[in-house]
This record gives sequence, C-alpha cells and structure tokens, in this order.
Amino acid sequence: MEHTCREILDSLRTYLDGEQPGDLDGVIAEHLEACPPCLERADFERELKALIARTCRDEAPPGLADSVIARLGRA
Amino acid sequence: MAEQASTPGGTQPPDQPAAPSDGGDRETAAHPAGSDPTRADLTDEQRREAFVRDAVPYLDALYSAAMRYTRNAADAEDLVQETFAKAFDKFHQFRQGTNLKAWLYRILTNTYINAYRKEQRRPEEVSADADEEFSLYDRVGSATHAPAEVEVLSHLTEDEVKQALADLPEQFRIAVYLADVEGFSYAEIAEIMDTPIGTVMSRLHRGRGALHRALYDLATRRGLVSAHDDDGGAVA
Repeated sequence: MEHTCREILDSLRTYLDGEQPGDLDGVIAEHLEACPPCLERADFERELKALIARTCRDEAPPGLADSVIARLGRA
Repeated sequence: MAEQASTPGGTQPPDQPAAPSDGGDRETAAHPAGSDPTRADLTDEQRREAFVRDAVPYLDALYSAAMRYTRNAADAEDLVQETFAKAFDKFHQFRQGTNLKAWLYRILTNTYINAYRKEQRRPEEVSADADEEFSLYDRVGSATHAPAEVEVLSHLTEDEVKQALADLPEQFRIAVYLADVEGFSYAEIAEIMDTPIGTVMSRLHRGRGALHRALYDLATRRGLVSAHDDDGGAVA
C-alpha cells in the first residue's frame, strides 16, 4: 500500500497538469478517491497551482493596447 | 481577460502543432507586409483589422507573461510592444486554425530570451538541483509547529507568491508560468520554449521544487511555520 501511494505521489503533479496517459490517469483518479492522505495532498497541490494562477496575473496598463495598435506595421 | 487560458487551444485539430515551427520565426527580421502569397488577397488594411481582432485581445495575457519574464513594468511594456510588432510582420506566416495564443507566446518568449541573453551574457542560470524533491506539503506537515498545510497557503499574499516565482531561474520561471498560470500543455510549452518535452518536464519539476522551497522559507520567516532541526534535505 505504501509503495502504491509513493508511486501515485510521484506522478501527482503530472496528473494535475492533465498530462498522464489515459490508463494511468484512471488509476490515479481511483486511488485518490480511495486514499484520504493522497487526496489531501492532491488538494494541496491543486490549491497551490490555483494560487499561482490567481496571483501571477497583471492587467496591461491603460494605453498599451492603443500604443501597440498604433505601431503595427510601422516598426 | 483572466479566463482566456482555454480560448483557442481547445478547438484546434489534434494533428496540428501548438505553434508553427517553420523555422522562419526564430531569428529572422520582419518580413515585408503582404509578401506571402497565401495572404496576397488581403489588403494591408484587412490584414491589420484581422490582427487587431484576433491577436490584440491577448494583450493582458502577454503582458502578464512579460511581467513575469522581465520582472519590471517598463521592460514588460517594451517586450509586449516588440512582440506584437514582430507578430504583425509575420502574421502572414500564421496558419489559420492553429493556436494563435501559443504562436504569440512563442514570439514573446523567443524575443525575451534573445534580448536577455544579449544583455546578460549568461545563457542559463540554473542552480536549483538541490531543491528538486522539495515538497512544501511534506515540510509543513513535519514541522514542529504549523497550521494545516493548506491553511499556510491562505496566509501568503499576492506579492509574496509573485516574488517567489520571480526569484526562480529564468527557464524554470517561464516553464512554471506557462503551465500553472496559462495552463498550456507540455507539448505547447515545448513549442513555445523551443525545447523537447523532456526538458519541459525537467524544468517544471525543478522549478516547482525551488518554488516550494521559496514558499516554505517564506512561511518560516513569517513565523507561520516553526522549522524542525534538520533543515537540509527533502523528506522522503
């Protein structure tokens, strides 16, 4: 069991990136449903990813769009 | 604009690469407008309209990336200006139906890396090997005094998370940004960074390890977590 958890956790970030091949993807999903400690870690990694996505964005300053458009083809 | 991550990528045919890799957009100077026969039927004005309609909506996304890459607003604006100018000059090379967002990111990333390398004269700053296996979850979980793991995350401010990402070595910073903020696939990131998928995975792995360590150090400094004696290696 411990060994299986280790393997699942090694593949967890790739899984959360949506990049595990189909068969393994299902194995990990099933494991997480049945294993609260692994699920808790998966939720933590998910939340961290979401936190980075939420915080690491900026809106372009006002005027940049106009200035980009004005320069098109005249660089 | 924050929800653009899934706009064009989801609808492209699976056999199309994320971004055209027709060598020309690596280092070439701008092509004269309208020189390509496939767009010869478009007037300059039509081409301009299509570009403003299709490409300019990615301005906020590209500016966010430029802020993460350059780490300051003035350089980020310059990088975005240069990216759109180049993209417009090469717009005739863009294949309709492929992923415009990834194509623009590829130009942005390539422009940044080339400019950066010229100025800094140090092609790679890679130093995070020791952090590869570092797990924030494990470290918080095994600390002598700490709130629940996920609660630690809720105490981190936006500026702290941004700074932790900004402190990563360039190649790691770009890979983590493209994966976690923009949600690009590994294949798309490989196209954007012009590198094999295996390298993308390695940069993500090491970049996330370094990011976890930075956040853990931050939580320790802030007193959210009391470190245990052994502060050296990863917890197995």
